[in-house]
Amino acid sequence: MTADIEIRNVSKQFGAMTVLDHLSLSIRAREFIVFLGPSGCGKSTLLRMIAGLEAVDSGEIAINNERIDHLPPGKRGIAMVFQSYALYPHMTVRDNMAFGLANIGVPGKVIEARINEAARILEMPHLLDRKPGQLSGGQRQRVAIGRAIVKEPKAFLFDEPLSNLDAALRTRTRIELAQLHQRLQSTMIFVTHDQVEAMTLADRIVVMNNRKIDQIGTPMEIYERPATKFVAGFVGAPAMNFVDATLNKSGENATARFADGISVQTEIASSQLTDGKYTFGIRSEDVRIVAAGQGNADGVVDVLERLGERTLIYARLGDGQQIVGSDAGNSRVAVGDRIGLAFDGQKSHLFNETGRAWHAREA
Amino acid sequence: MSAPAASIKGRAFGDHLLLALVLLLSIVMIAPVLWVIGLSLKDNAELMADPNSVFHAPYTLKNYINTVGTSSVFIWVRNSIIVSGGLTLGTLILSSLAGYGFARLNFPGRDVLFVIVLFGLAVPEQAVLVARHQIFSMLKFHNTFQGLILPGLSAPFGVFLMTQYFKAIPKELDEAAMLDNASRLRIFWKVLLPLTLPAQATLGIFTFLGAWNDYFWPLISATRKDMFTLTVGMASTQTNFAQSEGIGFLMAQAVFAGAPILIVYLFFQKYIVTAVSGAAVR
Repeated sequence: MTADIEIRNVSKQFGAMTVLDHLSLSIRAREFIVFLGPSGCGKSTLLRMIAGLEAVDSGEIAINNERIDHLPPGKRGIAMVFQSYALYPHMTVRDNMAFGLANIGVPGKVIEARINEAARILEMPHLLDRKPGQLSGGQRQRVAIGRAIVKEPKAFLFDEPLSNLDAALRTRTRIELAQLHQRLQSTMIFVTHDQVEAMTLADRIVVMNNRKIDQIGTPMEIYERPATKFVAGFVGAPAMNFVDATLNKSGENATARFADGISVQTEIASSQLTDGKYTFGIRSEDVRIVAAGQGNADGVVDVLERLGERTLIYARLGDGQQIVGSDAGNSRVAVGDRIGLAFDGQKSHLFNETGRAWHAREA
Repeated sequence: MSAPAASIKGRAFGDHLLLALVLLLSIVMIAPVLWVIGLSLKDNAELMADPNSVFHAPYTLKNYINTVGTSSVFIWVRNSIIVSGGLTLGTLILSSLAGYGFARLNFPGRDVLFVIVLFGLAVPEQAVLVARHQIFSMLKFHNTFQGLILPGLSAPFGVFLMTQYFKAIPKELDEAAMLDNASRLRIFWKVLLPLTLPAQATLGIFTFLGAWNDYFWPLISATRKDMFTLTVGMASTQTNFAQSEGIGFLMAQAVFAGAPILIVYLFFQKYIVTAVSGAAVR
C-alpha cells in the first residue's frame, strides 16, 4: 500500500504562537520525504498533523485525494515510529505488534502471519516473546518499525527515530531504513534535524525554517542550489562560507568584491541581480588550497581538521573573516602557514538581504 | 593504626550499634504479639491463679475451640473483609478513573476541581462527622455495608497519587495506541492501567490497612452486633467479656482477627515495603 499525500495551505497555532503558516506540499506515492530543519521550525508538528495527533487549524490534508484531516489517527491508514519508540512496556514484542491489528478486528491467523513476516524482514524472530525492557535501543527501534510494518499502512511516519541511537547504530539503522523503503515501496515521511540522515535517506528534502518551507528538492538540488541563505548554511558540514560582498555587474557575470579588496569572478549572470547588499557563499570543497599569492585570496591557517579522505583548513583572511577550504587527506599544510585560497566561480552563490539565492548557470 | 583501618573499625562499631537497635526494636514490636499468642494458649483459671504461667506448659487450644464455637469474631472478620475489600476495590476504581481524567483529559475547570479534591486532604473526618451521620441516618444507611464503605470512597490521596502516576507515563504511549486505532477506554484499560500497577498496589495496601484498622466511623455507623467490624467487635468484647469469658478467650479472638492482615502482609510485603519507602511513586 502506498499513498499520495497532499497538504494544502495548512496552518497551526499554539495559543498566540503560529507554528505553521499556510504551508502546502505534495508528496508522491512511494516517495521518501524528509522534513529537515532546526528545533522549533514546525517539522514535527506538521508530521503530527498528518498523523492526526495535532488538529489542523486551517487548510486540508488529503491522502489519495481523500481528506483525512477530520479523521482520528487510527482511521487514517498510517503508521508512526516515535523518537522514544513508544512501545507498550508491559506487552511482549508480539503483543506490541498485534495490538493495532486486534483493534481493527484482523483475524488471529492473519495477525500471526504478518508478525512473522515483519520479524523475518527485520531479522528479529528471536525477540518476539521478550518485553521492551529486555531489549537494547536498536532492538526497540526494530520493534517500533515492525509494529508499523504489520499494519501495512498507506504511509510511514518517522519522528526523529534515530536520535536515541549511538553513532554506529544510527548509521546501520539508516541503511536498513533505506533498504526497507526499497523493499516496501511505501510512502515514507521522516523528520530529522540531522542533515546527514536527510541527505542519505531522502528522495526529496523539505527544508523548513521559521514556520515555513524554505525549499523542496532532491538532496543534491538542496546541496548545490540552495534556495535561501538559511538552506545553504543549514545543509552541509562544515557550513557554507559566507562573506559580505559588493557586486560589479558591468560584465556578463557578476564579480563579488570583499571588504579587503579581494574579488571573485562568479558564473552568476549579472542581469539576474538587482542592486543592494549581497553575501557571497561558497562550500569548503569549492575552495582549493594553493600556494600563497596563487589564488583569489591569501590567508593564515587557524585550525586543521583531518577527516581522512580530506583535510578541512580554517584560514583567516586579511580582514579577519574565516574561510574553510578543503585539501587532500594527507595535506602538508600546518597551522600558522600562509596559504592561497582559490574560489571556484562556477560553484559560488550570492544571497541578497532577504536571503534569496542566485547560482551559477547550470552547465 | 592507619586512617582507613580506623574508619573500618568505626564503621563496624556503627553497624553493631545499629544491629543492636534493630534487635531491640524488633523485640519491642514482637513481644506483645508473642504475649497475645501465649495468653491465647492458656487456660483462663490458670492465668487467674498465676499470670506468669504464660511462660510454661501446659498449653491448650481450648480458647480457639471456644472461639470457633461461640464467638462472633468470624462475623466481624467477614464484615471487615467486606468493608475493607469493598472500600479498596472502590477506591482503586474511582481513583484510577479520576487520576486518568485529571492527568489526560482536557475539560473546563479541571485544575480548579483538582485543587478542590486536594482540599479534601485537609478536612479531618471529625469535622464532617455530624453532617455525615445525619445524611446516612436519613438515607437509612447505618448498619449496612454501603454505610460503612461509602464515606471512605472519597479518597483525595488516592486521586492525587493516581493523577501524579498517570502524568508520569509518557503521552507517546497514548498516541501510539491512538494510531493503533484504540478507543480512549481501551487505551486506559489495556495500555495505561497495567502500567500503574505499582501505584495501585501502594494505594490498595494503604486503603485496605486503613479500612481494616478504622474504628471511628464503624463505631458510629454499625450499632448492631452482626454489623460490627472487627475493631468495633473486639473493643466491645474487651469491655464486656474480658472478665467473664477470660483473657485467654479474648486473645484467641485477637489471633483470629489478626490472621487476615498477616496473610495480606505475607503476600504483599514487597509492595508494602515499596509503598512505605515511597519508591513506587515516580
